[in-house]
Amino acid sequence: MAKDLHLVGFRIGRETFGVAISMVHEIVRVPDITAVPDAPEYIEGVINLRGKIVSIVDLRKRFGEKEITRNKKNRILVVEVDAKMVGLIVDAASEVLKMPHEDVEAPPNVFEEGDLNYVTGVGKLKDRLIILIELNKILQKGELKRLADVAATQLGAAV
Amino acid sequence: MSFFSEERASELKDLFFESATELLQALNEEGLELEKHPGDPEVVRQVRRTVHTLKGDSAACGYSELSALAHELEDALTPELAKQQGTKVAEVVLNAADIFQHMLNAYRTNSPAPTGDRVLDAIHALISKPGPSLAEPVKSAMKAPPLGFEWTEYEKMVMADAASRGLKVIQLSLTIDPNCVVRAVALQMVKNAFADLGTLLVVVPDEGAAMDKVDHISAALASSFDEEYIAKKCKIPAVISDVKVERYAPPAAEPVSANGTGEIDHTQNEDLLGLDNQLDEAPAAETEVGSASNLISAPESTLRVDAEKIDAVLNLVGELIIGKSMLTQTINEFDKKFTKDPLRAKFADALAYQARVLNDLQKSVMKVRMVPVEQLFRRFPRVVRDVSKACGKEVILEVSGQNTDLDKSILDVLAEPMAHLVRNAIGHGIESPADRIAAGKPKIGTIKLNAFHQGNNVVIEVSDDGRGIDRQKVVTKAIERGIVTQEDAARMTEGEALNLIFHPGLSTAEEITSVSGRGVGMDIVKSVLERLKGTVVIDTKVGVGSTFYLKVPLTLAIIKALMFRVAERLYAVPLSSVLEITRAMETEIHRVDQHEVIKLRDQVLTLVRLNKLVKSKSNQKKIFIVVIAIGDRKFGLVVDKLVGEEELVIKALDDHLVATELVSGASILGDGTVVLILNLNSVVTRLGKSSADIDEQLTAGASA
Repeated sequence: MAKDLHLVGFRIGRETFGVAISMVHEIVRVPDITAVPDAPEYIEGVINLRGKIVSIVDLRKRFGEKEITRNKKNRILVVEVDAKMVGLIVDAASEVLKMPHEDVEAPPNVFEEGDLNYVTGVGKLKDRLIILIELNKILQKGELKRLADVAATQLGAAV
Repeated sequence: MSFFSEERASELKDLFFESATELLQALNEEGLELEKHPGDPEVVRQVRRTVHTLKGDSAACGYSELSALAHELEDALTPELAKQQGTKVAEVVLNAADIFQHMLNAYRTNSPAPTGDRVLDAIHALISKPGPSLAEPVKSAMKAPPLGFEWTEYEKMVMADAASRGLKVIQLSLTIDPNCVVRAVALQMVKNAFADLGTLLVVVPDEGAAMDKVDHISAALASSFDEEYIAKKCKIPAVISDVKVERYAPPAAEPVSANGTGEIDHTQNEDLLGLDNQLDEAPAAETEVGSASNLISAPESTLRVDAEKIDAVLNLVGELIIGKSMLTQTINEFDKKFTKDPLRAKFADALAYQARVLNDLQKSVMKVRMVPVEQLFRRFPRVVRDVSKACGKEVILEVSGQNTDLDKSILDVLAEPMAHLVRNAIGHGIESPADRIAAGKPKIGTIKLNAFHQGNNVVIEVSDDGRGIDRQKVVTKAIERGIVTQEDAARMTEGEALNLIFHPGLSTAEEITSVSGRGVGMDIVKSVLERLKGTVVIDTKVGVGSTFYLKVPLTLAIIKALMFRVAERLYAVPLSSVLEITRAMETEIHRVDQHEVIKLRDQVLTLVRLNKLVKSKSNQKKIFIVVIAIGDRKFGLVVDKLVGEEELVIKALDDHLVATELVSGASILGDGTVVLILNLNSVVTRLGKSSADIDEQLTAGASA
């Protein structure tokens, strides 16, 4: 039998998401963030992570969460994507979840359309649903470039 | 015009070996790439660039065999050929890379270079143009073994005899300095030196020979000293210019190959390449003899360290500093809690001490990465000398600003484009002495190298006082080559037209020489500068000369910066671009044609409101204005609060998530805060526009 999946579970809004634990470098509290001009809205800025400058993406904004409140439970998930460290702000991150492979179902078809192809599956844990996501897909260059292009077109239209 | 001490020459060679090794690595990779995509013109151009650089570098060091072969190869490599011949081209490139490698090894050990005939033949077969005439000079160059030993039977016998008695027999070849004024006694001086070293077995020429006609002294010694020591002893200043020392191996133990110096060294790899016949003469890089040039150079007191390791140390220092500020904070809390505790003073002392040491540590580590551009500049005297000689021109080199510090990694990469610029300046720029006199210029041309800091950049200038670049000629050539159309050319600005010279394959030279003319060099300049996120600007005046400004960012450098807050956010600008700081009342601001301006000592100063960057509005009545200079223009940055100046280590903000032209880098302060360093050029371009435009842009950016 295959090993259980090890996931870092985090919350955004009312949902729980999971990413493979191997992707997560560490979880830190939200420090002062230095905003970078010109960056897309969901980029909060950069922080100093022990001498390294790490970009911070507000995953809540990225996921289209409307009400964003700052509280003490907010955390930054520092993940490594394409050999670069990126920090993701989430509402809360506390648990490490273990889940047998059988409990993960392929994402419903609707997720494959549009922007949602980063959902790799939906896991059932007792009575909760955990949305498994692939961070590479959210943060990869192509995707970000696409977003940047959209921004550029809008900018172009404005000028 | 004597640029060269021996030490410099050997330093130059070391540099060459280092860069050549990298180039060969690149050539190998490109050859493989070419094999994968036969006929891909981009790859072919890449290969040509590499070969071209290798050619130039080796020629600068006087390694004629290598440069001659590289020259042939570069000539043969055209996209057309690659298309016709497919993978065969890649084959030849890879074979050539191997031969180059063996030549390098030979040069390193100061032994005769292997010939490149096999590759030459392959090249000629490829272009199906048998070219013995071209190959000839190459061969003849190789036939003159620089410092071979040619012993008579008798002398060999004496040496073999001594060796068989268990003595260590050393062969020496000494080159008498051509400028030596005491030739007659040179032999005696050398003999005296020998006497101190051991028993003299043979010496050629023997006494009585007309010393003024002799350039070489060959000798064999039975000595217990090691080769290095002997080489040092025999190198009598102003008498002997070059010493070659080799341990004599008796013929029975190790057969001596045809020219008497090579050591047969079969390796399996070479067999695979089918080139072993030529390569046999290339001794393994690490013979016990070692390289004579290494032997006589001063003992190395420098250490080569991977740049990454230094970065790691620098980061750790940064963390230590953060640790320090945490400690300071804790001790402050302790102070408040136990106001009378005698431990407080001890804590304060310890902390002050630690802070001082940390400060020194940080400075030292930063200095490690920075090297003066002199390291780059000092390659050029030789280049200038050789190229000007080859072109039959008289040129002197003037160097200034060599103490400007630059990050080592950038410095290394800059060597290549600069070499091309200098070669071009001599090849195309400087006129022949006759033409110069006719033009009323001094007979001797001047090439100037200069370096200085400019804001966040280091600018390196390469200028000549030659004929300048004829824009019209460039455009005509470009149209001829089909690079631009007639209509496009007509619309081009002066700058755009000049930039055509960076186009691969475009050269204004009438004929192709070994110095320049294929239009490869400028292409390299452009692509390297692009890679460094730098720029190259040409300033030229027909008949007066040209200057190339290579502007490179300091990716990791210390700058003195002025820090300030705008809408509670911390930013920094290089102090070098700050002219002054002044205060003003909001009411003093006037609007002129959408621009906000202020009168400062009877001059009108355009204001740039930085708070537009962060989309906030300031409502301070009294504002701070940081007056900055960009080029020869002045602007006033409106900021909320000044923080102070500090030395910052710039870290590139190259993460694609946050990359923006407005920010040239970030830095971490002692307390761990991240501060962004503004790229003033872009900031002013962006925010200097009329405010209505910006508002629109910013809203558009925000909605994205």
